[in-house]
Amino acid sequence: MKSGIASRPSSGFWILLALSVILAGILSLLAGPIEHPPEWVIMRLRLPRLVLALLSGSALSVSGCILQSILRNDLATPYTLGISAGAGLVAGSVIVSGLFIPVMGLVAAGTAGALLAVILVYALAYRSRRGDYGSTLLLAGITMNLVGASILLLFEYFSDASRIMEIVRWMMGDMAVIGWKKPLFLVPPVILGMLVVITRTGVLNQISQGDDIAHTRGVSVNKERNLLLATAALLAGSTVGVVGPVGFVGLMVPHIMRRFVGSDYRYLVPASAMGGMLLVILADSLSRVVISPAELPIGIVMSLIGGPFFLVLLLRGGSRKQRG
Amino acid sequence: MPALSISNLSAGYGSNRVLSDINLTIVPGEICGLIGPNGAGKSTLFRSILQIGVDFSGDISICGSSLSSLSNNQKARLVSYLPQNFNPQSRLTVSETVLLGRHPYRSGWALDSVEDLETAEKCMIETDTWDLRDRVFSNLSGGEKRLVLLASALAQEPELLLLDEPGSSLDFRHQLNMWLLLKKLSRRGITVLVSTHEVALSGRYLDSVLVLSKGSSMAFGSPSDVFTTEILSEVFDVNLFVSHDRVTRSWVIVPEMKQ
Repeated sequence: MKSGIASRPSSGFWILLALSVILAGILSLLAGPIEHPPEWVIMRLRLPRLVLALLSGSALSVSGCILQSILRNDLATPYTLGISAGAGLVAGSVIVSGLFIPVMGLVAAGTAGALLAVILVYALAYRSRRGDYGSTLLLAGITMNLVGASILLLFEYFSDASRIMEIVRWMMGDMAVIGWKKPLFLVPPVILGMLVVITRTGVLNQISQGDDIAHTRGVSVNKERNLLLATAALLAGSTVGVVGPVGFVGLMVPHIMRRFVGSDYRYLVPASAMGGMLLVILADSLSRVVISPAELPIGIVMSLIGGPFFLVLLLRGGSRKQRG
Repeated sequence: MPALSISNLSAGYGSNRVLSDINLTIVPGEICGLIGPNGAGKSTLFRSILQIGVDFSGDISICGSSLSSLSNNQKARLVSYLPQNFNPQSRLTVSETVLLGRHPYRSGWALDSVEDLETAEKCMIETDTWDLRDRVFSNLSGGEKRLVLLASALAQEPELLLLDEPGSSLDFRHQLNMWLLLKKLSRRGITVLVSTHEVALSGRYLDSVLVLSKGSSMAFGSPSDVFTTEILSEVFDVNLFVSHDRVTRSWVIVPEMKQ
């Protein structure tokens, strides 16, 4: 008898994915007009920007993976639990307040806001003690998103025009950097978050099966879930603090990657990290060339491409499921 | 040394007491049935042994070690559980799902070892789920899902297997195969505690039966001691006709017709 347990994603897939990321990276270094000395443009503008794209792409999509496991819902994103609303509210109000904000402040504000939102949403769901934990979390998260957005609007309403411009620009997603400050401050939270997740991909698998099953396999479910939620908040919050609430990455990348590597988080997490890098690099390069020499905000590009693409995927997936 | 021993167990959720004063000893290789009406506390008994969100007092020990002396991981290598609550929407394939039962034997980001793959294959063949191996879990029927989860519970290589209504939503053939499998496991020395509503069929395979009613133990003994008109009618609060059928060596249990 042939041993028939289906083989894992082949090494060819990983090589292809890695090559695409490298290729897209090189492309992004060359994309767009170069008016200043090329060396300066590459080293001070393009390369840090590329690093920022690598970090934020992987952070957002891995954060999406975590929430999809915990909520047992493939449509969950870093924003479902109000992570971006929290990060946006705190980081946004820092911008509105007009205080001088170093980059580290934005990273910290984003992370703090995201953590705060998660804790609030989680506490709400926990207190309500309804049977269906996942859906209570989702409802609390949606409420968080709406309330966060309106408070931010309230702040904007009472601030002057230049600040409103600044915050609206940030809300659209902003990858533009001069120098290395932004990417470098994002390195520690993203590396830390990735380390936590990569050692817990097995736990993500168990939690995705149901709390009871995970528990009987030796997983301390509550402890691990808190840690993973905090990690998701750290990854997405710090990223949102720096580049603004760029949508769709956390939803789209894991969804596409599931088609290639399946839903085993030991493979899905690294594949999503690389896929997230690829997507954000490509979207960022596109945002620079579409209306060159000006550039589009990456958030808009991402939503304009991501939305329809995702809809097509959903519809095709749906019809296949009906046939199967 | 008993595989499972429970003494003076009282358990519940917060101030709501569900079980009181339960005593039970099962020896290795025994198949013990848990019988009782809905809400009698069968699942709570499982959850106390597994320490899932239940407040309990009393002593529970597994293979001679008391629960409090075992780490989560040690416990996971001794006991596995087929719950009624699981995520039916899981997008993992059947073989991936079964392989997850190997979790207590590895750490962190570990790939499946050859031993893991062999164990999973063996468990899938035993549970008749080998042909489903590449299907996605969420697309399976209710009965198939339970069989797959049974396979993953077996892949955990437990000494004690806790099954919460494993036979529900299985057809005749799979029900029979499941009981035969439990018999086979028990010959290997694996102890089984199984709650079931298929009282009539289960009598053929159970070594002992604990009858639960309203959170306390009503009767304990071999199926022929316990499956009587008096005991079952009282426990299930309905007039039952109970008789042992010599041809099929099982019981006939039917509610009496009310005029």
